[in-house]
Amino acid sequence: MVKGGKKPLDLRITLGDLLGSGTRALTRYTGTLLTVFVVQSLVAIAAMLACAAVLAQAFAHLPVWDEAVDGDLVSLALCIRFAKANMLACAGIGFGALLLWQLASWFLAGGVYGVLAQRPEGRSETARCFGASGASTYLAYARLALCALPGYLLVLFVFATCAGAMLNRIEHALTVGDLVLPVAVSLLPALAILHFLWTVSDYARVELTLRHESHDPGALATYLRSVGFVVKRPLTLIHASLGWLGFVLITVGYMWLSTGHPMFGAEGAVTLFVIRSGVSLARLAIRFAVLAGQVDLGGSRALPPRRVEIKAEPKAP
Amino acid sequence: MVARWALAVCLVVACGHDHGPPKVRKLDPRDKPDGTPALRGGGPARSPRIANYKLDARFDAVRHQIAGTETLTWTNTGASPVDKLPFHLYLNAFKNEASLFMRSSHGESRLAKASDSGWGWITVDSLMLGGVEQVAKLRPVGLPDETVTELPLAQPIAPGQTVELNFKFTAQLPEVFARTGYKGDFNMVGQWFPKIGVRTGPPGLEQWACQPLQALTEFFADFGTYDVAITVPTTHVVAATGVLVSEVESPGGTRTYTFHAEDVHDFAWAADPFMQFKYGLAHVDEGQTVKVQVFYRPEQEAFATRHLQAAIGALEKFSAYFVPYPWSVMTIVDPPPDAAMGAGGMEYPTLVTTAGDSVFVRPGVKLPEFTTVHEVGHNWFQGMLASNEPEEAWMDEGINEWADAHVMADLYGARTSGIDQLGFQAEITALRVALGEDPASLPQPIATAAYAFVDFDTYASASYEYTLRALLTLEHEVGSTKFLAAMKAYAKAFAFKHPTGRDFYTTISAQLEQDLGWFFNPVFQQVGGMRLSIRSAECRQAHGIRGLNEAKKTVLEADAPDTGTWVCEVVVQNTGVVHVPVDVELRFTDDSTQRVHWDDRGNGTFERFVVEHSTKLASVRLDPDQKILIDSPLDHAYRLEGDGAASLRASARIASWAQTLMQVVGP
Repeated sequence: MVKGGKKPLDLRITLGDLLGSGTRALTRYTGTLLTVFVVQSLVAIAAMLACAAVLAQAFAHLPVWDEAVDGDLVSLALCIRFAKANMLACAGIGFGALLLWQLASWFLAGGVYGVLAQRPEGRSETARCFGASGASTYLAYARLALCALPGYLLVLFVFATCAGAMLNRIEHALTVGDLVLPVAVSLLPALAILHFLWTVSDYARVELTLRHESHDPGALATYLRSVGFVVKRPLTLIHASLGWLGFVLITVGYMWLSTGHPMFGAEGAVTLFVIRSGVSLARLAIRFAVLAGQVDLGGSRALPPRRVEIKAEPKAP
Repeated sequence: MVARWALAVCLVVACGHDHGPPKVRKLDPRDKPDGTPALRGGGPARSPRIANYKLDARFDAVRHQIAGTETLTWTNTGASPVDKLPFHLYLNAFKNEASLFMRSSHGESRLAKASDSGWGWITVDSLMLGGVEQVAKLRPVGLPDETVTELPLAQPIAPGQTVELNFKFTAQLPEVFARTGYKGDFNMVGQWFPKIGVRTGPPGLEQWACQPLQALTEFFADFGTYDVAITVPTTHVVAATGVLVSEVESPGGTRTYTFHAEDVHDFAWAADPFMQFKYGLAHVDEGQTVKVQVFYRPEQEAFATRHLQAAIGALEKFSAYFVPYPWSVMTIVDPPPDAAMGAGGMEYPTLVTTAGDSVFVRPGVKLPEFTTVHEVGHNWFQGMLASNEPEEAWMDEGINEWADAHVMADLYGARTSGIDQLGFQAEITALRVALGEDPASLPQPIATAAYAFVDFDTYASASYEYTLRALLTLEHEVGSTKFLAAMKAYAKAFAFKHPTGRDFYTTISAQLEQDLGWFFNPVFQQVGGMRLSIRSAECRQAHGIRGLNEAKKTVLEADAPDTGTWVCEVVVQNTGVVHVPVDVELRFTDDSTQRVHWDDRGNGTFERFVVEHSTKLASVRLDPDQKILIDSPLDHAYRLEGDGAASLRASARIASWAQTLMQVVGP
């Protein structure tokens, strides 16, 4: 192994540049964004159909379930008590879909980073780039996920510790004012660490994608280098947090607007599906824009050490 | 700088509501004794006043300890002589892990846990009878439990004779987890003095009822008068049973409050340096109003207002439904949130503790109100109708729950008596039916002694919920007006007495002029409940008879074509032991309905209904008016054609959540 060339951090890239990268990527690679969204929706729809089959098996003949779904608390309590196993099965299906998506996301994220890094022209070239990049970095991303695991355990530990210390306060809170501080103390440290770790993972992925062919960096070394990079460039955290802020605002906004507006019947169900899909697409677009900014900023990083393999040449006969 | 900020945040987070050090308290003029009689409007004794107490308690607020003296005047109102006197020493339930209470509760009571350090106990230091010291003669009953002690008498007490006993005792409060004790500066003092048992049974065959305290048992005592002087530091305010008759500054920075109560069977009090009172008036009849006061800490102001309104409403409604509230005052103690699990939700005559104060209990969630209504209601069912709680817990808890359902509906609306928040509404009884255990699955009947229940869940389900559901079902069956009148008659007949379950059955049956054994016996005495369900429902096209006729000619499908109508067959079953008449509603695809009635009392466990109609049957609904509450209503409605639309809508929501999470973990 030999050391790679060191270059100073490029401090000229600003938050405005990163946001600009995001909007450019959204307009230029809308098809890529939609592809990821369609795949994600397909996973969600598959989960939905599986859950529907499980629930219908228990409730198709019981009108009380209709009332429960329409928001009648008493009916809902009855149904949950009656069909605990079916409810657990639905939770299991949801969890399974999440795991499946996690596995698929390594490929999809690799593809997205590849497209954003290589900036291919044309639909077919973009598709080829997406598939090739996703496939080539898949295992590296999987190894990266393993490297990130201890960090997530730390997040859990911090959350458990803080929440444990605050539990009594939360339990006995009388007003929202009483609740704010203990909840913040319970959540914010863990969320801050989680945000840091997710940003580190993002930049590690960028590095693995950008330098995969030229430097073939190791997952652990990349992860650790990315920790250093994120620490040195707080802009990375600010940029990513803006993305999460948008994500939360859209989600909370949707919840706020939908409260008290139940949509009954088939027409309502279709309307709801369209609105939910729109919300999901908007959130995914934000995430996509953040990834684009990360690729630009990640490209400014110092090159990683190059791994050299010496292969023995077979002797000529 | 950062360290300073961090320290400041830590301090703010670590501290709860900071009240500062306790300060000397001056009483609100409304707390001053004003000569109000203990009984509303004065008047003669309402009860036999068998056990009358004069108590003097000096409270050590640091050690949470009471040095007390007690003069008990007790009359043998039975027809047989008494050769021993048993006394409850309830606080010894918290003395050690050998007590029956701790063994049966494993140190847990209704979600609260005993502390490892805050043990409680009571010792009798002196007992004088006829001028002779008797303390050495006291013998604990049922060692190692020490919650009951007996005094054998050299000279039996003859029928009609009255004796005076003088106690000196020391009582140490436990850290509160089961109704009585302290938490921080808050002190809830219940069952704190030696208390004599109750003689029950037919004349000449009376027996002492003086049960040791167990995890699931409560209290049983005779009516009497109480004159209680409580000396506390001047920093503390006291709320207590009865009316305040004097308030005197004492030496050593203390103040003595004296309370007087009549025709009550218990005396409890609370002391706290930070609490204050909130007042209101309840108009329970044409006579004098009832002063209602809530004792609370300043940070609980918003909840105190809710408790006060609920208490006033409850007093007025209970008075209208049963008998007017007889006392002049009602005190609600709202314990601090960290003490509420242990001290909250307990009833004493004219004083109850409530609970439910939490940021998570928004104004539309009626948990605090229900707690107050329930505890205030106990002033009727147990306070006045003083049933034996250890033996027949359902008589106070269950009947009170039934009354609570009416009062909550009256005060907060029939459909919104449980929840009315964010567009969600729920009636409190319906919610409890949905969340409660299926009565048919209970291993013991309602009429089980509290100490004999297999566990807390069975005790609670049977004594509270199943009784509530049974009485509502009976009310729906016989008609609400008649049933309410019968309950009022029962309350009038047994106020200030010790009614038994048999008294209840016979009074209600007599008032309703029917033998209700078909209901009371299986519901209260047997296990098995009601298991009503739709066994099958199907329709076939109607046509003439096909096959061989009298002429031995074969009639084929072409000879007896379908008539265009449908023959529908519905089989309804009840595999439980309780049989209540039930309506069955058949709804057809043309949206028309037809009702049939099934009275299965003595008519087997199933019924087959066959109806012919122009269209097919769409759905069947048992008990469409929801009169029967002792059975789970989940499968009371059944539609013949399965419909997955609701499941699809629910799944879409689940998928939406799943997709949100995917976007958090994925790209």
